[in-house]
Amino acid sequence: MIYDLIIVGGGPGGVAAGVYAARKKIKTLLITNEFGGQSNVSADIQNWIGTRTISGFDFTKALEDHLRAQEDVEIIDDDSVGSVKREAEGLTVATKGGKAFKTKTVLIASGGRRRKLGIPGEAELNGRGVFYCSTCDAPVMRGKSVAVVGGGNAGLEAVVDLLPYAGKIYLLVRSDLLKGDPVNQEKTEQSAKVEVIFNALAQEILGEGMVSSLRYLDKKTDEKKELEVQGVFVEIGSEPNSDFMGDLVRLNEKKEIVVDPKTQAASLPGIWAAGDVTDGLYKQNNISAGDAVKAVLNIYDFLKGN
Amino acid sequence: MIKIYTTPTCVYCKMAKEYFGKNNLAFEEHDVSKDEASLNEMVAKSHQMGVPVIDVNGTIVVGFDKGAIESALGTGK
Repeated sequence: MIYDLIIVGGGPGGVAAGVYAARKKIKTLLITNEFGGQSNVSADIQNWIGTRTISGFDFTKALEDHLRAQEDVEIIDDDSVGSVKREAEGLTVATKGGKAFKTKTVLIASGGRRRKLGIPGEAELNGRGVFYCSTCDAPVMRGKSVAVVGGGNAGLEAVVDLLPYAGKIYLLVRSDLLKGDPVNQEKTEQSAKVEVIFNALAQEILGEGMVSSLRYLDKKTDEKKELEVQGVFVEIGSEPNSDFMGDLVRLNEKKEIVVDPKTQAASLPGIWAAGDVTDGLYKQNNISAGDAVKAVLNIYDFLKGN
Repeated sequence: MIKIYTTPTCVYCKMAKEYFGKNNLAFEEHDVSKDEASLNEMVAKSHQMGVPVIDVNGTIVVGFDKGAIESALGTGK
């Protein structure tokens, strides 16, 4: 049995694709290990168009519900794609759970994941004081000293999430500027708990079993300094979930899938991509959904031989 | 007996509780953002600070891991 389309991912991109593909009667399989995408853990989404405010939890439910209401979309919701290969007869998608499927086209909407610092101690102390999701983990830092690494919106929002809990918050910024929205910058400036450290390069996370300190380099003076903290929140952006593609399609230097912005087609015929996994300039739920719809309409034309 | 250690903003905690509800599994919830003794208990059991931590009759599951929960309950596929 050969599918017309396999969609990789269950975030706003994957789900938008699934809904449109079903309505176009394209024989579709969607594979995801989880719905909702990166916004699943968001406390409050205020910019999903048509909705003034929605929690990540409800956003995920709404997406899943809309997809499941469609007829003729097969869904695997507890597995993830391990590889995509081109064979003589078409494309083969294999999952980490050991299943394999043949298909005429593939739409990659696998999104992104939190970028890691890549410094000593980070992997060992993951979950033991090193965190990547402040909405998830700020509440366990009651009364503690924490460091947030990252001067963009993610970093500033993490500081805001930590304000009701932490005793002291150090915000480490690599440059000499905060890059996040002015609204977020104001909130961090208003609290006496927050100390912003500019020109700081995080170098090592230390601790026996749990985080006890963070070492950083002061780029201006070239001095190595150490902060006594029980938590380190890493908020330095995201990286694309493109590893499973190997070298099947062209990736840019950030390992994002390069796509034609008019059609979302990737470099190999038969493969499209949408959302955070692509080289699109802006990473937003609304954009992922829009680009996924574009991709499906182009896939529909391709399948019809237009 | 199922014990789940949670915080109010934790989405996977909500998903776990929903899962228990759907499967008629009784559970005891401990909010570790308010209760320091529970936080210490959770850290001692799981050797880490992330939530949720689910104690299924002594088997500790970190995160909402359906497979591990079902294994611990003896209801796995």
